[in-house]
Amino acid sequence: MAGDGDRGRPSKKFKISSKAAHFVDDVELDSAADFDEDSRERERDANKRDFTKLELKVDHSNRPLWACADGRIFLETFSPLYKQAYDFLIAIAEPVCRPESMHEYNLTPHSLYAAVSVGLETETIINVLNKLSKTKLPKEMIDFIHGSTANYGKVKLVLKKNRYFIESPFPEVLKTLLKDDAISKARISLEEYQAGETFSVSKTPGEMDTHSGLLDGADLAAAAEEKETHSFEIDPAQVLSGIIVLPCGAGKSLVGVSAACRIKKSCLCLATNAVSVDQWAFQFKLWSTIRDDQICRFTSDNKEKFRGNAGVVVTTYNMVAFGGKRSEDSEKIIEEIRNREWGLLLMDEVHVVPAHMFRKVISITKSHCKLGLTATLVREDERITDLNFLIGPKLYEANWLDLVKGGFIANVQCAEVWCPMTKEFFAEYLKKENSQKKQALYVMNPNKFRACEFLIRFHEQQRGDKIIVFADNLFALTAYAMKLRKPMIYGATSHQERTRILQAFKHSPDVNTIFLSKVGDNSIDIPEANVIIQISSHAGSRRQEAQRLGRILRAKGRLQDRMAGGKEEYNAFFYSLVSTDTQEMYYSTKRQQFLIDQGYSFKVITSLPPPDTGPELSYYHLNEQLDLLNKVLNAGDDVVGLEQLDEDADDIALLKARRSVGSMSALSGASGMVYMEYNTGHGKKTAQGQTKTKQKDPSKRHALFKKRFG
Amino acid sequence: MVNAIKGIFISCDVPMAQFIVNMNASLPASQKFIVHILDSTHMFVQPHVVEMIRSKIAEFREQNTYEKPA
Repeated sequence: MAGDGDRGRPSKKFKISSKAAHFVDDVELDSAADFDEDSRERERDANKRDFTKLELKVDHSNRPLWACADGRIFLETFSPLYKQAYDFLIAIAEPVCRPESMHEYNLTPHSLYAAVSVGLETETIINVLNKLSKTKLPKEMIDFIHGSTANYGKVKLVLKKNRYFIESPFPEVLKTLLKDDAISKARISLEEYQAGETFSVSKTPGEMDTHSGLLDGADLAAAAEEKETHSFEIDPAQVLSGIIVLPCGAGKSLVGVSAACRIKKSCLCLATNAVSVDQWAFQFKLWSTIRDDQICRFTSDNKEKFRGNAGVVVTTYNMVAFGGKRSEDSEKIIEEIRNREWGLLLMDEVHVVPAHMFRKVISITKSHCKLGLTATLVREDERITDLNFLIGPKLYEANWLDLVKGGFIANVQCAEVWCPMTKEFFAEYLKKENSQKKQALYVMNPNKFRACEFLIRFHEQQRGDKIIVFADNLFALTAYAMKLRKPMIYGATSHQERTRILQAFKHSPDVNTIFLSKVGDNSIDIPEANVIIQISSHAGSRRQEAQRLGRILRAKGRLQDRMAGGKEEYNAFFYSLVSTDTQEMYYSTKRQQFLIDQGYSFKVITSLPPPDTGPELSYYHLNEQLDLLNKVLNAGDDVVGLEQLDEDADDIALLKARRSVGSMSALSGASGMVYMEYNTGHGKKTAQGQTKTKQKDPSKRHALFKKRFG
Repeated sequence: MVNAIKGIFISCDVPMAQFIVNMNASLPASQKFIVHILDSTHMFVQPHVVEMIRSKIAEFREQNTYEKPA
């Protein structure tokens, strides 16, 4: 197994950390053992809350659940009733943390709304919960369920002939609603209003069956199909809006397409950027029997006309929400989108879209049913709860570990590699005047570089793996890629070059490693890769960590090898390189939380590269390290910072006039750009050349050189 | 004549030694506490600063540790 050099030496990591701490005696290795942590956490909670009042039932050993008064529910995954209990719990509660043996769920108002909306009644929820629980249900929990479900399902918002109607079988509820100003003003006279009609999607005239049935697919289809039936067959008479959470690589697009197939209506599919628009269009062609001319892509470069009276339109959030002036073509298409009733609004990667844009999209388009898809329903700004009322409740959240066990996604070994800072780098890191460069310093830590080089060599030579190295910090990305002579892709890399590099990575046996900046987080599809090395990251973003892991989740190899006990238990590796004693430790632990909640555990590796490696890896000698340090310190603050990516502005970018401040001489082309120095000596790339020119600003010049030029 | 100074011998890892050195350097001359730096992991300091070093290091490590909010 890779990077396992420290397996037999668990004492090592404690030695290092206790040495470093010296005075601090309790060092928590959260990520090292998730079950340990889980049980410890439960112990802690047990101290905080007293559960002695809970009454155990006589036959408690046959029941899988612990239900606590504060709404938390614990599920034993080793119980024979696990499967049934899991299916039930996922419908009524939010999963909080799902390690291997014990799951934690939380009853929330939103999760209970979701339960009611799929047709579970209050009494059923309480009865089943009581049946499964080892203890008598606490009164608080029963009250909570009653309280949360009492108001739900009384009123329906129904879309008819492009107008929304409110329907309710309870006249008193309607009366209460009419007291609201906004609603009473919008009231339509009684003759027009036909009450009592139930919501049915198959009624709208002028629609035809767009697609019939799914094509039979690979084993992936089975996984996705299972998820899909969960969320749609609970009550087939009713079409639901909601969100489905599936890990990357588990077939999200298939779920989307099959939902569209089942609804058999026109479908508006929203994606985040032009690349995924193409992928969605392709997925529709692949999995359904829809004709090519019924799919239309609508992006800034690709404005396909919407023909006929039913079909699928694939576009981006930006294109729909854009408020400014559009070109004539797109104005027509938007008008078309606005004026029709959609059977299904399919929203990909719902977590990325900020609430105000969502509101706009939802107000522009009218649809009978909304389906949101995502792998990571977390946002650092906690706006994620807005999705509950903008789209609908979370209908299904897959359990990652179950999918791994079933062999549907790759079994990933996650590791956090601790790289101690070298003396010189840490001294600079601590200095106040270097606060802008802290990130560059801990990313460029020579020990980290050596660990990275070691891992790349190990995986390339010993296992023949395909490796992606992620670095958010552009300076580090270029420095690493140059030094190791590997291809890299970042924001400014042209489309042709990207394609060329990716093709080489996919097909050439010589290119086994590529360096990616954060452009590779989401949109680049690289199914070949099975190792990720992360050398720098965007602060504490849990989503980025999960999305990056998603790049290698697509299952590879033969199914039987991948199953537990097969030839290769782990077939994918995720390394996160962290410089110890720096901010990076904080971010790293925070980033891992999402994956830990999904049941992943991070192994801490402390002795990489092995102590016996010498000058065959870079930066072995002190003077090389000092050279590197100088390079970092001399680079301008703007260069060592994070990469700023242009928004995927699509239509917008093309129409907006660009204004830039410039002197008259610059505008006339006489801005003194007579000589340009090319750095040909060391095969450095243009990015380096740019830093050189930037440094000519004397205020930014390093103190050492000020004298020389002074 | 031999000068004897009472002090505390500190043994720590490389980064923490740098941390203590940096702490020492940030203080005005009258409060400097390092008597001698022996090598990159050992040093000799005045006895009264032990508590201060302890708390500073604890604080520094606290900053770099993420606690999951309950």
